[in-house]
Amino acid sequence: MAAIGVHFGYTCACVAVFKDGRADVVANDAGDRVTPAVVAYRDTEQIVGIAAKQGRFRNAANTVVKVKQVLGRSFEDPETQTHGSETKCQVVNRDQKVFYEISAGDQTDFVSPENVAKLIFNKMKETAQSAVGSDITEAVITVPFEFAHAQKRALREAAEAAGFHVLRLIHEPAAALLAYDVGQESSSGKSHVLVWKLGGTSLSVTVLQVNGGMFRVLNTHTDHSIGGESFTQALALHLAAEFKRTFKHDVSSNVRAMLKLMSGADMAKHSLSSLGSANCFVDSLYDGVDFDCSISRARFELLCSSLFNKSIQPIRVLLEVAGLSTTDINKVVLCGGSARIPRLQQMIREMFPDVELLSSAPPDEVIAVGAALQAGLLVGRDGLRPEEESVTVDVSATDILLKELNESGAELFTVLLPAGTPLPARRHHVLRGGGTLSSLCVGIYQRLVSMQPEKLAQIILRDLQPSEEHNVDTVLTMKRDGSLHVSCVDQSSGRSEVVTVAAAS
Amino acid sequence: MLLEAREGDETFVFTAAAASVQVQVEPVGRWFEAFVRRRNRSTSTSFQELEEEQESSEEEEDEEFQLEEYPMLRTLDPKDWKNQDHYAVLGLTNMRYKATQKQIKAAHKLIVLKHHPDKRKAAGEQIVEGDNDYFTCITKAIEILSDPVKRRAFDSVDPTFDNTVPSKGEGKENFFDVFTAVFDRNARWSSKKHVPKLGTMESSFEEVDNFYSFWYNFDSWREFSYLDEEEKEKAECRDERRWIEKQNRASRAQRKKEEMNRIRTLVDMAYSIDPRIKKFKDDEKARKESEKKAKADAKKREQEERERARQAELEAARLVKEKEEEEAKQAAQLAKKEKEIQKKAIKKERQKLRTTCKNWNYFADDESDSVKMMEEVEKLCDRLELASLQSLNEILAAGSKDDSKTAVEKQVQEVNAQLQRERDAEVQARQTSRSADQASGGGGGGGGGKGWNEEDLQLLIKAVNLFPAGTNARWEVIANYMNLHSTSGMKRTAKDVINKAKNLQRLDPGQKDEINRKAFEKFKKEHTSVAPTIDNAAPSERFDAAGSDGNAASWTTEEQKLLEQALKTYPVSTAERWEKIAAAVPGRTKKDCMKRYKELVEMVKAKKAAQEQVATKTDVKGVRLYTLTSILASNSCRGILRL
Repeated sequence: MAAIGVHFGYTCACVAVFKDGRADVVANDAGDRVTPAVVAYRDTEQIVGIAAKQGRFRNAANTVVKVKQVLGRSFEDPETQTHGSETKCQVVNRDQKVFYEISAGDQTDFVSPENVAKLIFNKMKETAQSAVGSDITEAVITVPFEFAHAQKRALREAAEAAGFHVLRLIHEPAAALLAYDVGQESSSGKSHVLVWKLGGTSLSVTVLQVNGGMFRVLNTHTDHSIGGESFTQALALHLAAEFKRTFKHDVSSNVRAMLKLMSGADMAKHSLSSLGSANCFVDSLYDGVDFDCSISRARFELLCSSLFNKSIQPIRVLLEVAGLSTTDINKVVLCGGSARIPRLQQMIREMFPDVELLSSAPPDEVIAVGAALQAGLLVGRDGLRPEEESVTVDVSATDILLKELNESGAELFTVLLPAGTPLPARRHHVLRGGGTLSSLCVGIYQRLVSMQPEKLAQIILRDLQPSEEHNVDTVLTMKRDGSLHVSCVDQSSGRSEVVTVAAAS
Repeated sequence: MLLEAREGDETFVFTAAAASVQVQVEPVGRWFEAFVRRRNRSTSTSFQELEEEQESSEEEEDEEFQLEEYPMLRTLDPKDWKNQDHYAVLGLTNMRYKATQKQIKAAHKLIVLKHHPDKRKAAGEQIVEGDNDYFTCITKAIEILSDPVKRRAFDSVDPTFDNTVPSKGEGKENFFDVFTAVFDRNARWSSKKHVPKLGTMESSFEEVDNFYSFWYNFDSWREFSYLDEEEKEKAECRDERRWIEKQNRASRAQRKKEEMNRIRTLVDMAYSIDPRIKKFKDDEKARKESEKKAKADAKKREQEERERARQAELEAARLVKEKEEEEAKQAAQLAKKEKEIQKKAIKKERQKLRTTCKNWNYFADDESDSVKMMEEVEKLCDRLELASLQSLNEILAAGSKDDSKTAVEKQVQEVNAQLQRERDAEVQARQTSRSADQASGGGGGGGGGKGWNEEDLQLLIKAVNLFPAGTNARWEVIANYMNLHSTSGMKRTAKDVINKAKNLQRLDPGQKDEINRKAFEKFKKEHTSVAPTIDNAAPSERFDAAGSDGNAASWTTEEQKLLEQALKTYPVSTAERWEKIAAAVPGRTKKDCMKRYKELVEMVKAKKAAQEQVATKTDVKGVRLYTLTSILASNSCRGILRL
């Protein structure tokens, strides 16, 4: 059964289809795997995607961009105000709700952001259905972690209005982890993953704990002031300065010329991710003068160095707040289109020298793929009710440790059951003891975060047959309330001991 | 490396583990889904992983299931396995058809452990060799019960099932007690789950309806293959197998039918004595009755209302009529009175005038004058209105003799003049009516008042020939043609054209000749440009000429018919034939008749010659020519042609 995953971003939307156990991104009718989330209104039609984006020079007042910024927000919301001041499309207030004033054709229409989002979702649905060839509506849709309830609801309603059956809304960082199949093979093991997403207009950094196959967001940071467009802007300003130097014309105040420059800069930026230098050519930029300029990657990196720093810096802050160091991070996932920039990848690699950097998939498609995988899991099952989507799970509060000796004979603790493991849980370990010993002591300790370990119980196995090595099968099971049951069986003699540690009430 | 245990150390729990905490997780991934599924199924606080869930649920069932040893087990005859109670053999007497496959398996396991020949042998028991041991019965039982199809067959004929249908009598007393049990019992045969319950007296109509519709459409899985008398497996060849199958099928169908009948009887019975159904029916009846009554009441009321309205209307109409009649009567009386008064006044005035005139001795000196005057005065009395009589009388009373005389004379003159005028008017009217008669009678000649000049007539004839009878909208076409080609500029309608053409037909051939001649003259005049000796052949003149011999010439259809008849009645050999013919045609002389006859003969001859000519030409043309001749001669020659 097929299902759809949709990543509905601020600047772009991407759709992936789960079919026959695989999730693949679907290219739209223009052949692009990512569709700009831009809607242009004309007197007879509404255009979604690249055509709308390209037509922005001429139809800026009736072209809605970054609709996600106002979706589900009230008019008074500062975000709405910022959006209203930035966009070329008139934003008006009607009953505390945000509306776009569209004056395409003869009359003036008021279009709600939900309606705009609906058109984009419609486009995504068509794209997905054209790829699958059948009428599939089951979909999982991603939302940023910081989205409030009202925003989520607005997004869900827009998607449902477009004909989707929304299986679930999931958070973007979690979707990114799913796409890389983090923690999905087995339910044991604990790791920390950093998801660094640099999209068109926003930066979001999230630290997640993966434990028992479940993801738990430890901390997140979002910055709407930086994104791929900031780099383009910087580049465009540089180009404008170049133009001024050569032709003695200041185009920075000319809206249309700047839009043209932006689009040229955008293309140059994309080329610079793979090439050492790129050519930016703008036809008839100002006063019929064509503009041609070559930019090297080094120049671009120099121009954007402060922006790059700004987008890397939050990682350290975030880790500090979460009480983690860079070494605690096991994996780093890069997503968002701007994660393609080589300099940024390099900076992150420098920050996490020993860490696996997950960037093999196209970063702007990762989230959609994750959503599609989740949709594949959910389709055909009874889903959760929307209000239930923040689910709480019982987890162990402390690390369960074993006191051991290392080769040199010093005492050390190894973790048998890490803190944060979803309960109930069972862990199986084979513990080794010296073959010469006739008795063994399995000491079970618990440790709250970085405190001295506290002894919970000890299990003594006596009268063991001397052999090369004693192997003790140890099974730890912890119930939901936190009570622990430990059974140890010596493999050679079959001698067993069981202990149950009650949970503190 | 594990540590070595120290002396005196024991397995020991030192302290309680920290309680679990609740954290929020992202709702993604397969492990999360597994967690949600576990939680939704609300399987205990078991710490078992996914795959272990089922085991635990089984264990729960195991606890509640107890086996009852079948006391007769050891005495069972393996040959008679068909009649044994397999559930009893396995010790599942209290579970029966409700037992799960797992329970059956478990029971079988237990019973095998106890009764297996090897076990008993070990216990020193005597074992009957071969298949005759009762253990075979256990094998048979598990064989039947572990196969769903066979088990269903056995369940269908469960010996403990009570097939009875309660009688009407016992059902009537306490319906719910009796029938609830029966329906619950029979519900097990339903192929659908969730069989509706019988319910109680308080059940709603929908519930009861649902219940009965379910049971009337009861779909039973019960089948009776277990009771097959012949075993298919025993057959030796295909034909035998087929025969057995046929037998079995028939008996199964028979039993199934009986079973369906049983259910049907049960449901019918229940339905017939269900107190709720009765209640619903009564309710429905009462409702309908009340509705009907309400409807009838409404109708009656409406009718009364209408009747009353009608009465009121009639009353009002009658009153109005009476009033009108009264008024009319009064008016008539008034008018009559007035008339009488006037009559009296006029009489009086006349009398007065007469006496006055008499007094004046009729303003005459001699007798004859006075007589004449007396006549005049009488005339005056007759003719004059009341007002003028009065004024005259006043003048007579006031004035002297001469004055009076002049007044009277003047009055007389006036009256005479008036009389004369009236008479003139009458004469005129008579004349105009006569002339009108003439105009309409011979009138076609006038062409309905529209001037038809020579050219137009020629054109008409040409058009008529051009568009023979049978042409679509012939007269319109002709009129159009005329309008197109006419030089007179007169617009003619189809009606005009028809009239004229008819007139032309009615016209004597002589007239036609004349027209033709005139046309020829005109042609000659135009082409030879001879000075116009015969100046203009004005239509009026021409018609005068036509009218001069019109009496003799124009034969009406009536006369024509009479003439034809007479010609037939008086053959050529008749003496004084033409006198007799003339006598038969009123208004015609012998000469007229002879002349007409000659004309007709000539026409027929000409026609025949024309037909002969035509016969050589094409059919179409012939038809056209025929139409032409028929147009021209239809009226006058019809009879002759028939001759």
